[in-house]
Amino acid sequence: MQTDIWVAIIVAAIGTYALRVAPLLWTQRHFNKHKANNSEAHLPTWLSVLGPLMIAAMLGASLVPKAPSASSWIATCVATAITILVWRKTKTLGLPVFLGVAVFGVIYWCALHFL
Amino acid sequence: MNQVSSKSGLKQGIIDGLPLLGGYIPVAISFGVIAIQAGFSTLEATLISVFIYAGASQFLLVAMVASGAPLWLAVCMTLLVNIRHVVYAPNLVPYLPQSRAWPYLMHGLTDQIFALAHTRLPCMEDAKKVDWFKGVSIVAWFSWILGTALGGLAGDSLTQKWPVLDSVMPFALPALFLVLLAPKFTNKQWVVTLLVTISTALFIALSSFKNAAIPLAALFGALTFYVLTSHAGRKPSHAN
Repeated sequence: MQTDIWVAIIVAAIGTYALRVAPLLWTQRHFNKHKANNSEAHLPTWLSVLGPLMIAAMLGASLVPKAPSASSWIATCVATAITILVWRKTKTLGLPVFLGVAVFGVIYWCALHFL
Repeated sequence: MNQVSSKSGLKQGIIDGLPLLGGYIPVAISFGVIAIQAGFSTLEATLISVFIYAGASQFLLVAMVASGAPLWLAVCMTLLVNIRHVVYAPNLVPYLPQSRAWPYLMHGLTDQIFALAHTRLPCMEDAKKVDWFKGVSIVAWFSWILGTALGGLAGDSLTQKWPVLDSVMPFALPALFLVLLAPKFTNKQWVVTLLVTISTALFIALSSFKNAAIPLAALFGALTFYVLTSHAGRKPSHAN
């Protein structure tokens, strides 16, 4: 591969890392400054609101099946409901995800073959 | 999920990271396949996954390079897609104990790791947090690297032989997000805000602006939250 393409990849890698680490360092400095002054630091409300909202947005974006079709949408809806039900029952992380994927697979296969 | 586990931090992190495999490996295999088709070698595709390690932006970068787009533009677009990461670390800082390891560990702060950490760290002992983050990051990063290498070496035949890998396993990611988000439906204000955000992201992801779905939906959700807060005339309540 050409050198200029490698330079572009390295710049993109450093830039991506900087986007992840720089806000950490700024916020840690802000918190440490407050700690030194014996006062409590808080995140700005808009920033703390954005945390759960980013997860909600990732959920919405990831709900779109890789190959959208009636079968995959039916499987998505049923598996989503099952994941929620299992989570409500168990309040665990792994089991709802495992059963959600399993139900998605079964419904997708059945919908593909019988609808 | 909210119980403090007696397992070691590293072990708990590895266990918590396992559901990510279902989402990461198929997407990483797809990336490997696309990178090879775009003219990259398996080693080059794998190195991109090692160093950039940011799903959607890697696809964009490879596609733009392959199409002959100016490299500065490809880099700018990559960073633009990844700019959403700037809100992740600040949201975790209140739960992070002092450690020199955190800046290095931030290379592993992907969307999914953030979602996991934002839910898991608040209910974990400080002494376990660094190891937990290492464990969960190792699972995610290695699966991404391994998936890319697999995709580069045998991606086409893998997806033909096991089509289920490509179409079913990725449901692990929305299932994981769902489980991580469920405890945050704490009151009417948050229920409405989260449902609006999820619907907006889904709607945008179905359009041709897929890469903009996450930041735009989050901004729209924030707007909804503030409208509801000012309408209720009370102080904002936090989901966590």
